[in-house]
Amino acid sequence: MASTYVKSITGLLAAGALLVGAAGATAADRVKIEWWYAISGKLGDTVQQLISDFNKSQDKYELVGTFKGNYEETMAAMVAAYRVNQQPAILQSAERGFMTMLNSGAVIPVDQLMAKQGYKIDWNDFVKPVAGFYIVNGKPAALPFNSSTPILWYNADAFKAAGFDAPSDTWQGLEKQLYALKEKKITDCSMALPGDFQWSLIENYSAINNYPFATRANGYAGLDTEFVYNKTGVVGQVARLKKWVDDGVLKIAGQGVAPISLFTSGTCATIINSTASHSGVEADAKFKWSAAVMPHEEGADVRNGTIGGASLWAVKGKSEEVQAGVAAFFNFVAQPDTQEWWSKATGYVPVTNAAYQKMKAEGYFKDHPTREIAIEQLSRGEPTDNSRGFRFGNHNQSTAILIEEIQAVWTGKKTPQEALDSSVKRGNEILRQYEKLHAGK
Amino acid sequence: MPASDAIMMENEGVGTRPRLPLRRSLRSLVGTSEAGLKASHFRRPWLAAGLLAPQLLILLFFFFIPTWKALSLAFVQVDPFGGTMIFVGFENFTTLFSSPEYRDSAILTLWFTVVQCIATLAIAGLLAFATDNVMRGRAIYKGVILLPYAIAPAISGVLWAFLFNPTVGPLAQMLHQLGFAWDPNRRPFDALLLVSVAAVWKHVCYDYIFLVAAFLAVPASVMEAAAIDGARPVRRFFTMTLPMAAPTIFFLIVMNFVYGLFETFGIIDTVTRGGPAGSTNTLVYKVYQDGFRQLDLGSSAAQSVILMVIAVLFTILQFRAVERKVNYQV
Repeated sequence: MASTYVKSITGLLAAGALLVGAAGATAADRVKIEWWYAISGKLGDTVQQLISDFNKSQDKYELVGTFKGNYEETMAAMVAAYRVNQQPAILQSAERGFMTMLNSGAVIPVDQLMAKQGYKIDWNDFVKPVAGFYIVNGKPAALPFNSSTPILWYNADAFKAAGFDAPSDTWQGLEKQLYALKEKKITDCSMALPGDFQWSLIENYSAINNYPFATRANGYAGLDTEFVYNKTGVVGQVARLKKWVDDGVLKIAGQGVAPISLFTSGTCATIINSTASHSGVEADAKFKWSAAVMPHEEGADVRNGTIGGASLWAVKGKSEEVQAGVAAFFNFVAQPDTQEWWSKATGYVPVTNAAYQKMKAEGYFKDHPTREIAIEQLSRGEPTDNSRGFRFGNHNQSTAILIEEIQAVWTGKKTPQEALDSSVKRGNEILRQYEKLHAGK
Repeated sequence: MPASDAIMMENEGVGTRPRLPLRRSLRSLVGTSEAGLKASHFRRPWLAAGLLAPQLLILLFFFFIPTWKALSLAFVQVDPFGGTMIFVGFENFTTLFSSPEYRDSAILTLWFTVVQCIATLAIAGLLAFATDNVMRGRAIYKGVILLPYAIAPAISGVLWAFLFNPTVGPLAQMLHQLGFAWDPNRRPFDALLLVSVAAVWKHVCYDYIFLVAAFLAVPASVMEAAAIDGARPVRRFFTMTLPMAAPTIFFLIVMNFVYGLFETFGIIDTVTRGGPAGSTNTLVYKVYQDGFRQLDLGSSAAQSVILMVIAVLFTILQFRAVERKVNYQV
């Protein structure tokens, strides 16, 4: 009796092995490359298109892309996988996770990988704000992939109805316009608060107005950096946003609805959101819309905004032929043609000058003027220590604290100054913890 | 109550033995079940071991190994990828205990769990009592009440969040028209109310199933006798049904606490994400946020160790304080 069971079980196992073997046979001649990415919706569809284009372009490698949730979830999945040696060959990681990845010991610097596999990439060709972020001590750490910056989207119909041609380029002017939109009953929601408002309305605001966000060149000069944004114009910015929220000019979307859909549905007249919203806005907005650079303070020393988005990291612990495949894909991504197609399909900025010039020469930006706004904003003025970008260890943690503290301003529990003082204090503890753990790196 | 008091007095009368209530109850537990064990004990120990093995393996993989992992991480600060690790002793714990955010989260969790437990039991009790007295369409009635249990927490959470979204939610608009300044994004109480209602709504069905069964188990003869004596349904419910269902209610209190403490994660994640300003950030959600979103593994492990201790203490406390008042015999 028992032996019959054993026999039938072995039989089943053998049949299963045969099936797996048969299915594997066709793909066996291609080396499988795993890529975990973190963007979804229309952007995710474009990623799948990119993967299938790469797989069609050659017959040695098969790139398999898996959506692993948002940036944080993808990073958490990566961490868990790496600890049990199940990591993918390529990881898409956001700029907020840059230091974590850089000091993880789990990645191969991209220039080393490319040189070893015999590919030549002109690292000097990357546009300045992008290169300025991803190149550490003269060497690129990861391949810039989807780079964005927040821009001001507006409902042109609503602005026209209120008698404005375009949004003002200062916060003071914009405030008058937003209040006018509400008072003239053109809209009940003049502006929607983006989900990543700390990136656009706080960090980018700080950079554009050339305020220091932290000491040591916002972390570029060393791990002993300390937050100082509780002593700059950021306090006034939070007070302004709080006033707008209280007056019903600025609406918090909250859970259950994406902030950008409040704009595309026509509910809210403006939103400051990533330039990568282009593909979504172009598809969904049924009114005349446009975009502009983010406003600045009156009389400010206006500088460039900082980039957001993500880069591609080559992960350690993979065989030589998988690494060769990773390099082949990176090379494919870095081609001006791919860059141009990717930028057009998504709204992310072209990350190389070659791609940018190519699009410009074609007259693409004449037909799509809003596509150039991000580039314009990223290249305003000579970058300073305040505007180059942010390099903070465990940036996700201090960001979560900043959001929580600003929410305490929305609820009225704290004044802007109290909230930012507390946010800086708690954020600095995170920075010290990171410094302690990574001393000497 | 009188029975347990009697035992206590008897024990104190002996005097020479120190009062060890926990051991006493353990001994009484062993004492009562020993006879049963002897009657059917295994002569071949390997068979017993084999039969126990699956359960022990499950415990090993889902309890002992994770517990060991949590304990080993709770006393270190570590790079997420495991590259660097510094032993910090109790620093992760002292940081937590001195953090006002953690204290707020603990108070919130207690409030949320207690309110959720009472509300769920009360509503489920009312519905179960009504079931007993519904004559027509009882199946449909039961079906409707059981529906929420079939919906995944994440999906119901998204629906709750949308329905009560202050900008686009239809129910939020209704509240606004009624003159309520409903806004869970800016009013911590609204946010807390929303997750509480969502959590109760989801769990009422669970309590309801058990209570209906418990009420049905009350012997009809007892109820009829009471009815003949002139007790009306409400009086019969409170004086007969409820005491007889006490073991079930006690079980449900324990389960509701477990649910409130640990299983409301999905609802909180979708309805409020712990906000605004941490006002719905329960201890379990904080473990997830700190560990899996922000990769602060040391602190997250320390928090889960604290949670484990709380869970163990709660269970002991409940069994000590409540169970002795429960009469298992009908």
